[in-house]
Formats: sequence, structure tokens, C-alpha cells
Amino acid sequence: MNKAVSQSGRLIGQGMVRVDADGKVRGLTRYLNDIDYTGMLHGVVVRSPVARGRFKALVPDPAFDWSSVVVATAEDIPGENVVHMHDRTMPLLAEVGGELLYRGEPVAVVAAKTIELATEAAAHLRVEVEELPPLLTLQDAIAIFKKTPVKFDSMQDQDIVKGDLAKGFAAADDIIEAEYWAGHQEQLYIENQGFTVFPLADGSILCEGSLQCPYFPVHELNDPLQLPPEKIRVRQTPVGGAFGGKEEYPTMLIGYAALPALKSGKPVKITYDRHEDILFTPKRHPVWVRYKTGVKKDGTLTALECDFILDGGAYLTISDVVMFRGILHCALAYRCDNLIIRGRVARTHSFPCGAFRGFGAPQAIWGMESHIDAIAARLGKPPHTYRRQLHVRPGDVTPTGQILSKENGSTACLDLALQHAKFAQKRRQASRGKLRKGQTKYYGIGLSFFAHGAAFTGDGEAKFKAKGRMELALLDDGKPGVNIRVSSTEMGQGVHTIFTQIASDALALDPARIRFPMADTGLVPNSGPTVASRTTMVVGNVVYRASQDLKDQMESFASQRYFRGAKTVLKNSQFAAKSRRPLSFAKVARDMLTEHGPVNGFFEFKLPPDAKWDQVTFKGDSYPGYSWSANIAEVEIDPLTCELAVTRVTAVLDVGRVINPILAAGQVEGGLTQALGYAIMEKMGTGQNGLYDASRLQTYIIPTSLDTPIYDVKFVEYPYSFAPPGGKGLGELPMDGLAPAIANAVESAIGKRLRTIPITPEDLFAALHPAQGDNTP
Amino acid sequence: MKTTEKINIRFPQTLAEALRLQARKNTRGTLLAGGTDLMVQWASGTPPPARATSLWNLPELCEIEVRDDDILIGAGVTHAFLGEAKPIHRHLPALIAAAATVGAIQIQARGTLGGNAANASPAGDTAPALLITGGDVLLASLDGTREVPLDEFWTGYRQIAARPDEIILAFRLPKKGSAKERFRKIGARKAQAISKIMAASRIRVRSGRILSAAIALGSVAPTPIRLTQVEALLTGQALTPSLVAQAEKLAQTSVKPIADIRSSAEYRRWVAGRLVRDALENL
Repeated sequence: MNKAVSQSGRLIGQGMVRVDADGKVRGLTRYLNDIDYTGMLHGVVVRSPVARGRFKALVPDPAFDWSSVVVATAEDIPGENVVHMHDRTMPLLAEVGGELLYRGEPVAVVAAKTIELATEAAAHLRVEVEELPPLLTLQDAIAIFKKTPVKFDSMQDQDIVKGDLAKGFAAADDIIEAEYWAGHQEQLYIENQGFTVFPLADGSILCEGSLQCPYFPVHELNDPLQLPPEKIRVRQTPVGGAFGGKEEYPTMLIGYAALPALKSGKPVKITYDRHEDILFTPKRHPVWVRYKTGVKKDGTLTALECDFILDGGAYLTISDVVMFRGILHCALAYRCDNLIIRGRVARTHSFPCGAFRGFGAPQAIWGMESHIDAIAARLGKPPHTYRRQLHVRPGDVTPTGQILSKENGSTACLDLALQHAKFAQKRRQASRGKLRKGQTKYYGIGLSFFAHGAAFTGDGEAKFKAKGRMELALLDDGKPGVNIRVSSTEMGQGVHTIFTQIASDALALDPARIRFPMADTGLVPNSGPTVASRTTMVVGNVVYRASQDLKDQMESFASQRYFRGAKTVLKNSQFAAKSRRPLSFAKVARDMLTEHGPVNGFFEFKLPPDAKWDQVTFKGDSYPGYSWSANIAEVEIDPLTCELAVTRVTAVLDVGRVINPILAAGQVEGGLTQALGYAIMEKMGTGQNGLYDASRLQTYIIPTSLDTPIYDVKFVEYPYSFAPPGGKGLGELPMDGLAPAIANAVESAIGKRLRTIPITPEDLFAALHPAQGDNTP
Repeated sequence: MKTTEKINIRFPQTLAEALRLQARKNTRGTLLAGGTDLMVQWASGTPPPARATSLWNLPELCEIEVRDDDILIGAGVTHAFLGEAKPIHRHLPALIAAAATVGAIQIQARGTLGGNAANASPAGDTAPALLITGGDVLLASLDGTREVPLDEFWTGYRQIAARPDEIILAFRLPKKGSAKERFRKIGARKAQAISKIMAASRIRVRSGRILSAAIALGSVAPTPIRLTQVEALLTGQALTPSLVAQAEKLAQTSVKPIADIRSSAEYRRWVAGRLVRDALENL
């Protein structure tokens, strides 16, 4: 383990081997579905068979033997039938007499000793409905928005206003307007969703499963379950991928499992198979975004008007927050003094959309980065020189009025990417719809440039105050060491490893003496959810400071106990005072634990006192820090078949201090691959029955390793100095901007712009051969 | 979504035993070779049968015999084994290429040539490559063995010419000789993809004239099909750009594909012609 430890003992910046690698590579790690308990029941969710309808009755088949089956309905909910974080009108289970608002809306939970029996029992429950006409898709909602705006049903509105839009358009020489669309996207974590809920003797519940945010259920299920936070304990099992999919949804799953568990007094496990997981868990929001921009001949962007509408599905859930992040990223990367951005969340009769890596930003950046290319084309400027001219840099003011500090490597990302990919040179080879000499395929190269706000929006972190604890303890081998006690979850991204690196450096302690146990709300303080590209930046800082606090306490103990008050320093896992023989960490730790009892370092995160934010007007510092990136995509399109291949992607990123370059590069390549699927393959579609057209791995197409391009990933470091070790957001940035870079590359290859993703061969065929039966060789 | 049905699967050790089981209604089972199609169907809504008869590893079905003019390939030969069977590669290059595009390595290790044909999906990867050989399917029953031309084997959507008591024994596939073969599959991605459309061709040209042409497509009709009109147009003609254009056009007007989750009818019709062009431009 930890072979990459540098000579100096400093781990931050080193490619330390993952601390969880051994168990995962050898298949020893036990996931939720590997863990069963005696007496445990398996739960199956019974769902609405229609996209919209009146829920008339739930009728059990009298011929079926119900004696060994537990059936929980809304009537079994101990308290109020709502889940906290979500829209207050969202029930845990639909109630008879009420309206069913989406296909698959849960109406009951059936539990039995085997999953087979529970499945069979569920099939013998008839959901009687009176069908009503649904509004299924964003396309339908936008048609209403355009035709009769008053009839458009928005669940949440938010505007961002800067300067004087009318003045801006008046000053423009040209106005460029266009619309962009994107559909659903599925997270497709390897491990499907699942949770086990144990009812305990004191009336509390213990919940064990796969999730990103252990404290969410603790605070969100108090009303329906009539349990205070201290009676809902959540324990993370190893998470086989999440990507946002296990952010808000596990709360619902725990709620479903808790009802039969409380009713029967037995533990109940619910796990979804892949088909159910794809059909009935939240997706990335489909988007329609319209930009209207005014420009001067010299390229100055004088006005920007943007409508950004997400498909929220049937209930708001967390779509307001996703839309907020979306509009904050709609015009973030370029100078513009006059703008209005209007965010809306459309209500449709579809499964509520939710968190997915990027959280609204990929949708915003998809539109903006396509549109900037369109503006550059109209101006007759190359897309890279136009971006170099217009992009924001330190000292510039964002749409919300935030002044960008020196810690923004925007220019460095753009310049290095252009130089490294030889963009200007290669762009001269672009086919633009006509094969050049020596080309057998249309070649194109495209650029995107963007930022991602790290951590919670606005004053979210200031209000939240992430807490963490570094606990001196006897470890699994019986020897002293330190446990990292924060609620951040390892879900593949590497947080267990990088926090070990940070703690090791801050404590000056061998990483082999540091453990990061799975998050358990009974043991860890609330350092917040593992979301929003906040973990390294915010919780990493908490770990760093709490480690320093523990180090201070131990040094002071050692100084008094052994060195008569002489200044004592913990270094290289030893306590040393001037001209004294150093003492081992183990000796001091043992004595301190014996003489003091529990020893902990603590820290609580604060934002700089001058940070300002107004949640009503959306004015002020929208994020504590920004990560930056430029993506360059190269594509080849076969004129024979319109097949599209992305051949090379150059990505340069400023994510602040890079804690582990190997893991960081892995995060980037994974995110880019997820963005590649979003751009050219992943298409869910919605059928008239209210179900996704693609609901299995057979039909929902994601890239394989053969489809991935050569990745060329580089980092530039502009650390966030307020919160050492200085990381900014990394997790979401790689997902944000590849789709428009590919669309821009497609435009450069065929001379036509496609404004809907995914861009498939069928779309390219339609663009290149608009007359059916076109026979151009 | 989750199946609770139990299937009674029999594992005969010889072909004779399997034929005896299939001969009688009350012992007859759905034939199960590698299971790569059936297992998926049973897991996703198709009710599984009460009985199945496993043909996996039956020795009589697992042989390849190279003869003077043709090659006999046992129905139980896997796609992976075709990849290993180097001596036949130069005689049946389109089939070898097609087998290499089936699913992924795991699927190729289980899936069999006979299973792919019997499943009778219009998107079956090996079907067009079998069709262009002009060969036969050998069907066995207790009554004996009979040959059915591949052209007559797929009789309708997911229907084949075998009787319920028959088992596919082997494929008799004429070698390509001096003809040139080509196979091209258009899928939604480069591996693990079901085809949107695919084409296989075996064309013999001498001194710039097409002596014979066999062109087959998958995923454009209820069954894999031969483009007989295009073949007729080409046979005996000088290979000129104008002939290529005519053949491309004729292919596009002679197929009637449907739209489904994988592709549109328009794209399929267009690509059908493009793949014919591709075959003719690579002779």
C-alpha cells in the first residue's frame, strides 16, 4: 500500500495508490447486494400504470395467499405523507383518491421473504385508475411556452439581471438568436440503487445502503416516519458509482423500505434491477435553451437574453437548485454588461429529474458554447480568437456581480489547450462539408471553454458550516492511528485516498496509520453531502484544519508529558523536541488515549467574511471559487454512412491544487467519456405510455472503450488560497463542456450546425441529405 | 422484470439423444445453445418455456470440416471458435468478420452459429454473411437429415424452415473462390451493438466485368434478405461508376426498412444503397 509515498513524506500532489484498490480489484469489497440478514424481507415497489390518472383503488387479488406478505400503502405512513427536501406536495406514496402524476409513481410497497414471492404478490395488486391526458415531454411544454405562455406550468422561476438589456441591444450591430435542445441522460452507475432498513427496539431505524449524502435521509424523513433525526441512522455501504443518481433519490428508497420494516418489525431490503433502475430513478433534466445576443462588429457582446427551461418532471424535488446552477453557468465565461437570464422548471407527467454530475451546468454550457461559435461565425472570426477576445479573466465581473479573483486560471486553460492541440493549425484542415485532398472522411475540430462553480451556490456553505472530526483511536490492527470522521462518501471518485493524503500531510503522519471508515451518521459529524464539486475544496479543508487541530493537541500533550514544556513537533510520525530523543507516534498516542480518554481534532468550515449573496435577486458571489476548462474535440464523419467518430479530445483544466494527479486524470477521462455519450449516443426518448423508450442496457447506448477517443489531459493550478490545501471543484467539470466542443467540431467537419444532442448518424444524414433518396456519392 | 418461473432443462450427451427428446411432444423443449439470446429474452418479459433442451457442447455439432468446394460448420460452433479457426478464414472472410462483431468477447464465447441462425432475428449478425455463400442448412431429425437452401431458411419474422422435431446440424457453405467478399455492420457504437443495418457481399469480377454477385442485408426487412434485383442488375455488366450509382439507387428503392429504437427507416434505406456502393467500390 501507498507505494507512491515521496521521500519527503509529503503526499499532496502525489499519485498515491487508492486506499480501496485492493478490495475492489480482488473482488473482496462487499456491496449492499452481497449482504443479507437472517429474517430479512425483500421489498418491491408497486407503481402507477399510467402517466396521469385518478388513483381509484388498490385491489388485492382475493385468490392470492397474502398471509406471508407485508403490504404497506400511504395509510401505513406514521406521519404526514411528504418528504422534506422535496417539494412539499410530493408524497412518499400516492394516496387513493388523489392524482397519479407520472408513470411508475409508487403506490405501495410489498415485502416478503424472497424477492420472487414479493414480485409475485406485487403482480396480484391491481392499481385501479381513471386515466387523464398527460403532458409527457419538454417538447410539448415548450410548444405551450411559445404559443400560450400563460398556460406554461413552471414550478420555479428565477432571473439573473445585469445592466440594461434594451440599451445593450440598441448598441448592437447584429443580433444572433438560436435554440438548443438536449434530452434525458441516465447516470448508469455500475451498482444499482438499493437500501436495507432495520427497525430497532427503541423505535429508531438503521438504514444501510448505497448513497452520496448520508445526512439527507436523517433530516428528510422526520415528518413521514414521525422519527426525530437522532432516530434515523444512516450507514454507507461501498458505493459502486453514483454520479448524482444517489444524491436525493436514496431518501425515497429508504422511505419505501422503512414502511414495511416498521409494519413488520423486520429488516427490509429493496434493490432495483437495471431495468427498474433506469425506468424509475431520476435522470439529467432535458433542456430547451434560447439565446438572443447582440454584438458589435468588433465582437463586443453588448446584450445577452437567455431563456433556460428544464424538464422537471412531475414534482419539483431538487430541480430548483439544478436550474439555479444552470442559469449561473449560462453566461459565466464571457464579458457582457447587459443581460437577462430567465430560468424555469417545466412540469411534465414524467419521472422527476434530479441530480447528475454537472447539475444544470452541462445543459447551460451546451447552449452557450454552441452559440458562441455561432456568433464567431457570424462575425467572421475564428472561434478560438473570438473566445480569447471575449473570455473573462481576473478582475472581470460575472453575471451576478462577482469580481473574479486572481485565482481563476481561465486564460491559462484556453491558451494551453489551443497551443497543445495545435488548434489553429489543425482547423485549416477542417472539411467544412467537402473532402480535402487526402481525406476519406470529413474532419472537424471544435472548441469549448467554460467554468464550473465549486461548492454550494451562493451562501450555501456559509449557512451550512461543514463539520469534521479527526479521531485518535486504536485501529483495526490494535495500534494507534487516526480515523477521518466526515460524511463524504467514497463512490469511486477517490475521496478516501485524497483525504488520507491531506490528513497525512497535515498531521505529518504515515498514511498507513490513517483510516477513512465508511460514513455512518452515528459516528460522523455533518460535513455535508458528497455533491456540487465541494468535497476536495470544502471538506478537504475541514480535514486539513481538523488534522492540524489534532496535531496541535498531541504536540502540546507530548511537550508537557515528556519534554517539560519544550516546543514539540510531530514530524515523520515522531514527536521531537530540541536535543531530546524523539518519541514514536504510537507511544504518545497510547499514553494520551489512556490519560485523556477520547481525543479529537475538530473544524467547522466558514466562508470569507466579505462573501456576499442575495438569494432573491441572485446578486453577489455565486460560488466561493471557480474551476476552468477548455475542451478541444476532433471528429471524423464517414461520408459513406454518416457514422461519427470522436478521435481526439484535449482537455486543460484549472481545478486548483491537484491533490492526486493520477486520480484527477482518471476523473477527467471518465467525465469526458460520460460527456461523449451525452453528445453522440445516449438517447432515452419517451413513449406514449410514459416510459423511456430506451430502458435497458441493450437500447440505452453508452460508449465502450472502443468508442473513446485519445484523451490528452493537462492541468494548470490556480489554488484556492482561502482553504488549504487549495483544491477547487473537479468532479463535474469534465462532464460540462465536451458536448458543445463535439457539436462545434461537427460544424467544422460538415459546415452545418446541429442544435440537438445526441448527434447521431441519423441526424447527420438528415443534415447532409435533406432530400430523401439523395444519392450524392 | 424479475422472473419467478422455473425451467426444466435437459442436457443430452449425444445428438441421437437430443433428437429423441425433440421427436416427442411431451419431451420436446426449446432448443438452447449458448443462451445468449434466450436468456436475455426470458429476463426481459418473454415467458420462459416449461422445458428446454441444451445443445451446448454436443460433440456432433462442434466440428468444422474443410472440403474441396465447401466447408461444413457445425451449428454448435461458437463465434469465438470461428475466430480461432484460421484455415477457413480465407474461404469465408465475410462470415469471420461478421462473427467478430457479435456482442462482446463473452457473448462470442457462448453464442453459436446455429443459435444465431435459429434465433432468426433480422439483425442476426452472421445471417447476411451466410446468405451470400448460397449454401445450405443441414437439418437433422429421427427421420434423417435434409438440406434447406439458406435462401429459403428464414421464412418470416423470427421464423425458420425447421420443423419442431428438427435440430440444425450444420451449415454447408461454398468457398468464395476468386470472388471478393465484404462485410460491414453499422451499429450505434463500435462494440456490443445490435446492428442498425449491415451488408455482406460476394462478388466475382473478371476483366472489369461482374461474373456473379451475391449481396445480402440485415435489419432492413422481417428477415435477412438477398438483394436479388441488384444482383440481377449487376451480373454480366461492366463495373462502371454509372452501374455503381444505379445499383446504389436500386438498393435504396428495393428495401422497405422500418423505424425502431435503433434507427430511422430513411437512414436505413439510404445506407442500404451506400453499403452496396461500398461493396462495389472495394472490389
